[in-house]
Amino acid sequence: MEKELFTFIAGGTAGAGIRKAGAVAGYIFTRMGRRVFEMEDYQSLIKGGHNFAVVSSATYPIKSHYMKADLVVATDKRSYDMHKEHLRDGGVMVFNSDAMKDETVPNGGIGIPFTTISRKYTNSELRLGVGAITVLAVSIGMSKDELADVIRTQYRDAENNINFAMEIYDAAAPQLFGKFTLKKTDEKPLPMISGNETISLGAVAGGLDFFFSYPMTPASSILHFLAAHAKEFQIGVMHPESELAAINMALGAASMGLKTMVASSGGGMALMEEAFSLSGMAEVPVLAVLGSRPGPSTGVPTYTEQGDLRFAINQGHGEFPRVVASPYSMEEAFYLAAEMLGLVQEFQTLGILLTEKHLEESRMTVDIDPTKASWAEPIMYQGGDEKYLRYKITEDGISPLLFPPSDQVIKFTSYEHDEYGVSTEDPQIIAKMHEKRARKQETIVRKLMQMHTVNVFGHGGPVIFTYGSTTMSVLEALHCANLEATVVQPIYLEPFPTWEFEKFKNVSPIVVEQSVMGAFETLIKEKTGIKAKASIRKYDGRPFDPEELAQQIKEAI
Amino acid sequence: MPDDLTTYAENTWCPGCGNFGIFNAFKNAVRRLEQEDGISRNNILITAGIGCHAKIFDYLDLSGFYSLHGREIATAQGMKLANPAVTVVAFAGDGDAFGEGIEHLIFAAKRNADITVIIHDNGVYGLTTGQFTPTSPEGFRGPSTPFGSPEEPLNPIKLMLSVGASFVARGFSGKLKELTDVFYQAMKHKGFSFVDVLQPCVSFNDTYKLYNSKVENLPQPVSTVEEAMKLAEQTEKLPIGVFYQVEQVPTYHERLLGDLNIVSQRASKEQRWESIRTLLQQST
Repeated sequence: MEKELFTFIAGGTAGAGIRKAGAVAGYIFTRMGRRVFEMEDYQSLIKGGHNFAVVSSATYPIKSHYMKADLVVATDKRSYDMHKEHLRDGGVMVFNSDAMKDETVPNGGIGIPFTTISRKYTNSELRLGVGAITVLAVSIGMSKDELADVIRTQYRDAENNINFAMEIYDAAAPQLFGKFTLKKTDEKPLPMISGNETISLGAVAGGLDFFFSYPMTPASSILHFLAAHAKEFQIGVMHPESELAAINMALGAASMGLKTMVASSGGGMALMEEAFSLSGMAEVPVLAVLGSRPGPSTGVPTYTEQGDLRFAINQGHGEFPRVVASPYSMEEAFYLAAEMLGLVQEFQTLGILLTEKHLEESRMTVDIDPTKASWAEPIMYQGGDEKYLRYKITEDGISPLLFPPSDQVIKFTSYEHDEYGVSTEDPQIIAKMHEKRARKQETIVRKLMQMHTVNVFGHGGPVIFTYGSTTMSVLEALHCANLEATVVQPIYLEPFPTWEFEKFKNVSPIVVEQSVMGAFETLIKEKTGIKAKASIRKYDGRPFDPEELAQQIKEAI
Repeated sequence: MPDDLTTYAENTWCPGCGNFGIFNAFKNAVRRLEQEDGISRNNILITAGIGCHAKIFDYLDLSGFYSLHGREIATAQGMKLANPAVTVVAFAGDGDAFGEGIEHLIFAAKRNADITVIIHDNGVYGLTTGQFTPTSPEGFRGPSTPFGSPEEPLNPIKLMLSVGASFVARGFSGKLKELTDVFYQAMKHKGFSFVDVLQPCVSFNDTYKLYNSKVENLPQPVSTVEEAMKLAEQTEKLPIGVFYQVEQVPTYHERLLGDLNIVSQRASKEQRWESIRTLLQQST
């Protein structure tokens, strides 16, 4: 029978090429016109430990990986031990027989001497990932030529890799060839990219000029991606001495008219917080990407959680308007990054794109049209005043911008100030400036009321509230269990789109989030008065598995 | 003393404060750049940290960004990277640049960021009423060190020489002509320029007589870092002027961006779409 849904897990130590194998598996599936979701589970180390890639593919727009696999390739013992529970009915475990010599291996497993064969080649360990890809190719009935083509386009040192792969192919084929038949579609292969890549591309499409960032997982790959492509985009990318430098440089550059962005995880964002408040006071726009890992403190660097919601919406000391939003998918992240870059320009303040490791570092097939991204344009001073007033009191709270160098004097400042930008302690001016910034908050709310701020998926059935990448887990859970439900996901979290929740004020939703204390559930209650009927929370650093989540949803209904 | 480089802001420095010398010397240097080098004041941008020194931002009628405590040197680098055609000057206190934000000072020098840093070095936190700073001498008594500072002071000149600053100078706020000249040279220098200005604080650390008896003009820079280090170690006499200058070192913005000026050469929407489409195609 042709399989609609198929899941492949490759596991091994760090340095065994497992992450690459996940990407190449995705390449193979997209070539069959299938949609792909890939989740990488890796530890905060460079060599050793245990890494695995879960690649699920389907003939429909799949939105999550599945932890129950049809094919597991365990290139070390630890992978075998961990994933032997992850086989679905009819699933096949292929293990490294060299690593399992003294072990009792239950029925049904297929042993391949990966290590022995790889040692005939240089960089033997790194080739184990190629071995995993070869097993996958055999199991889905690819010919040797087709496999060689894939290796040629996807790997360096193709000749040795192909020779190695052919040996593995011969070892695996007798027991495994054509074990699975995957359903193909006529759809064009789609690009398969990570959330950090779509955030980066979205920001570029929206007008990003300069990105400043200090490395911190899971945000670092934004820095890596933009640095690699800075020349093509004609943008600046800098890795300075600290997050403090990054955000203050970003604000300095923004005061000259550049559209700037920074990114970090919780710890780095905490360091930037004083400057976020500066953004609010000086009315200098900046977009910050906050990529959550399980916290608090250093937490668990390479895993996922949604524990930073309150932190994100409460950034900065003092009172000032800001915009916080969280995308549910890689595609939405693209358009949202562009849209938020525009909002921070328009309102001259801080924007936080809140997301999680699960969205940032998982990869999925995306259908993105760059021409549909919004383009950031600040509101510029058109002349008319005797002297330019950087902080001119206006009805909507927005003082039109002008950037140095200019024949006008333009003073941005962190102190409370008069309209010209000179520090003040005058009680009337202090109050007026506070009111001006507070009016900007109202202007932002009016703007959001005209925008698409909440996604509602499906109709009928129970109502589920969720946000961020957990939304993808919920949608996939409903799909796999064939459940009908209405899923409500606020994209914007600050200002909170309360007006969109009027129609749900009489429902008792199930709230799903990756948080131990229920930050989202309490936020919903505080903002809308809506009380949850049931809470489904996960906080072990791992994203939801759709089948497990579906079971929890069924119990909650 | 209103003039065309001074705002309407009420000046609240103590009478006799060394900041007046820095303020006046800087205005003189700006005028000299306008007259002798044709550099418009519109292209001279300023930033400042937080403290007594930083009030200069309110008093100077020039564009820029009044930054956070310790972050002015980061702000300045962001401004310069955004538009390398402008001259950016960061005013900083000794608490800002050698305490709260020393990382930015060291890295700006290390990467030869093309900005000028002027330290109002009075050896005391004036605006917070007299605590010791990184340049206060051991034994300095202030409200946070009532029994005397237990720390040795930093030597700013040696610090900057050791991390590769391409222009290192010292000035004295009581010598207006010499200070003007040092500021002028620092702003003209291509690359990172650092001026440590010895400055009395009449309220909490009045070093006026001490400095007046010790400073002596250094007629020209010495040619090696080692010689400059030796000069910086002198305590009987305090040389003022340019200690060390090395020209023709590529600046940070040149090394990072080549000749790209993002303000004037940013890619259009359509160019960006094309690059994004190409990349997406490569990920297919």
